[in-house]
Formats: sequence, structure tokens, C-alpha cells
Amino acid sequence: MKYRVHLATFALCSGLLLTVAPLAAHHSFAAEFDIKRPVKLHGIVTAMDWINPHSWIHLDVKGPDGKVVSWMIEGGSPNALLRLGFTKAALPKGSEVVVEGFQAKDGSNRAVGQFVAFADGRKLFLGGSAPGAHGDGDK
Amino acid sequence: MTHLGIRAAIAAVMLWIAPAWCQSPVPRTPDGHPDLQGIWTSASVVPLERPASLKDKEFYTEQEAAENAKRVLGISSWERLGVQAREHYNMSQYGLDLSQVKVASTLRTSLIVGPDGRVPPLTPEAQKRVAERSARNRGHQFDGPENRPLQERCLIYSTEGPPMLPSAYNSNLQIVQDAGHVAILQEMIHSARIIPTDASPHLPAGVRQWMGDSRGRWDGDTLVVDTTNFTDKTAFRNSTASLHLVERFRRIDRETLIYEFTAEDPNTWVRPWTAQIAMVQIEGPIFEFACHEGNLGIANTLSGARAAEKAAEEAAKRENR
Repeated sequence: MKYRVHLATFALCSGLLLTVAPLAAHHSFAAEFDIKRPVKLHGIVTAMDWINPHSWIHLDVKGPDGKVVSWMIEGGSPNALLRLGFTKAALPKGSEVVVEGFQAKDGSNRAVGQFVAFADGRKLFLGGSAPGAHGDGDK
Repeated sequence: MTHLGIRAAIAAVMLWIAPAWCQSPVPRTPDGHPDLQGIWTSASVVPLERPASLKDKEFYTEQEAAENAKRVLGISSWERLGVQAREHYNMSQYGLDLSQVKVASTLRTSLIVGPDGRVPPLTPEAQKRVAERSARNRGHQFDGPENRPLQERCLIYSTEGPPMLPSAYNSNLQIVQDAGHVAILQEMIHSARIIPTDASPHLPAGVRQWMGDSRGRWDGDTLVVDTTNFTDKTAFRNSTASLHLVERFRRIDRETLIYEFTAEDPNTWVRPWTAQIAMVQIEGPIFEFACHEGNLGIANTLSGARAAEKAAEEAAKRENR
């Protein structure tokens, strides 16, 4: 039997059935967030909590009446971001971001950030484009 | 014999007497055992159970395996979440996609070995037990923290084991080894399993542990770990405290560690079953997960349930007016 390091680079092969196991997230997002409360928040970052199992971005959002409301946005585990080179300094206070997601079921100002981007549209997190994110192929 | 001839003869004798491990590509510890130390990932492009369409096909051809890997790694985790994605964050944004990490390739079509490729059926007793537990929990899943799954409470992760399985993300573990112990630290979510390899016996049967009691021994170049003394609190795919686990660790080259486990529990499955995972070495470090300290999710989940109950009560009151 032969084992070797393999790297993902190309497109899908449609001939075979989906064979990956279902994802086991840390918790049920449907239990925490409400699909009937979509939010789009344009705000200023006041802090980012680098905590597991989920990171939290703190955001001040100015409403149409000028009143500032503080929000907390749930994101992924910080460990992978650290591996991609994302550091504490990468999201400084005062950064302007746009979050699309869903509000907490208890109606508090907490939401899951499905998409988080800088105000100019750039992706907030480095995702798969970061050097070293793909194992061997980047060596 | 010429001077050159003597040197050649000495070299030939040295080669003959040299232990086989001198020529092995596998690093060794000073006591001669394979050195399993390092940071490894169990991330996998094949599922635990074989898809029904592949029937009894246990191995792909090299080309099929490459196509499968390309296809699986081409699907973002967020796409793979399916209906769960509706309220979920985009995992690729946070570097949690399978395509964003190193993955060992394999010709296997499922982690479970053998022609069946699936977890064996539950015994009638186990079916009854599972049905009763499910009936007990129905309608009470959000009563309090004790009703939530262990991993949501940051106590132990569902893939942490033993036996160890690939996780949805951060499938990373570190192995540390000395003359009498092997220790395994898994990133998800914090447990360090310390396995004596000093021929000491298992703990007395009355002492039960969530991760069982593991004892290791070397069978040639394979580390064999026998684990008993489980509780029924960490039921592995519905197993009971009588779960008996045998794990085998074999480093086949500098990059690759083959991990295999056989799970046996006559109170749960009709027969023992075996799975094999190819792990590949990655660069460190392992990061602390410290999940409990930052677990705002469980509080939000429970407060969400309380808010839903209150809303339902108010709706019922309105209807009764």
C-alpha cells in the first residue's frame, strides 16, 4: 500500500459520490443563532477575543439615529488563523468591517459572522491564500 | 589480502552485523524503538464508513485516489455543511477548510478496513439502549448544560477518543516518547494521554476513566496500545464501559505514521471492527485550545432555548385569551 503526501490544487471530479464525513462543528449553530434574524452590520472593531472554541469580534455599530450599539460577532477557532499567520495585530482597534450573519436567538446583540470583510470589500481573514496554508506545495 | 581487500572485508562484515534499523528510513530513539515523536495530522479525504456505492471496493487505484482527493479538497467545508451552513460562519475564512491543511493520501476508500467498510450492526441489547437514551433526551436537549454533548461543554471532543479519529478541523496531535512512556496530546480539545510502555498491568477493574486505561508495548516496530477500564460517559459510537480497544502505531517513513485501531464491545457491536488512518507530519506548534474558558457558545445556546420557551409561553397565552 502506498501513502504519500497529497495536495489539493485542482477542480472537482464529478464521477464519484461525496465521500467525506459530515462535519461535526463544536456546537449547533442553529441552537444559538436565529435564521429569521439576518443582520448586516457596518461597524468599528473595538476588540477581538482570541478564545477557543470560537473567536469573538467586538464591534461598535452606529445606527441611523446616530446611536452607537455594541455587538459581538462569533467566528472560528483562532488556532487555524494563527497558523495562517494572522496575529493579534492583524485586526487593530478602529478597523472598519462589514459583517453579514444572524443574530442570537435570545435577541441580544450577538451574531454569527457568516461573512466578515473590511469596509472596502477585502476579505478580513487570510483564508487559503496565505503562504504556508497548503502544506507541502508552498515549500 | 591487500590493504584495500582487508578494508573491503571489514566493511562487508560491518554491514552484515549492523542491525537492520541502521538502514531504516525511520528515525529511532536511543533505545532502538521507532521514534514516533512529532506533530501529526489525521486530516483525511476518506470517510470512516465506505459509501454504499463503492460496495466491497476497499482500495482505489492510484488515479481514483488522486481524483477523490482533488474532488474532496475542492469542496469547501462551508459547502459541505449543507443545511447547517445557513447559520454557520464561513469556515474557509477562518482557515478551517480541509484544503487549507496538509492531508496524507491513501488508497483506502474508507477508514474502516475490510470488505464491509462499515461499523458493524448494533446488538439487540445496544439498539434498545440507544433507543431508550434517545427517548429520554427527547424534548430535554436544552434543559441545562448537562444535557448538552460533552464536546459542546468542552469536556472531551467527539473525535478525541481513544480511539482517535479525524476532526472537522485542527486534527492535530503531538506524540512525545521516553523509555517507559508514550504521551499523546491532541489539539482538540486538550487531553494528554500518558501511556506506560513498561509492561505494567492495567488498573484494577474497579477504577474507570473517561479515556480508559492505556498500556503500551512494542511488537517489533509497532507500538501496540491496549485500552480498557472505560466508563459509559464517553460512549464511542454507542459503546459501553466494556469497550476494549487495541491501537497500533507504525511509522513507515519520516513523513507518515499509520494509526490503526480495533474496537470490541460485545455489549454494543455484533463483531469487532478495525479502522486505519494515515497521519502525516506537520510543522508545529500545537496551540492550546483551552475551550472551557472561552465557551460563550453554551451560554448563548441555553439562553436561546430559554428565550424560545418564553416566546412559546407568551404565544400560548395569547391563543388562550
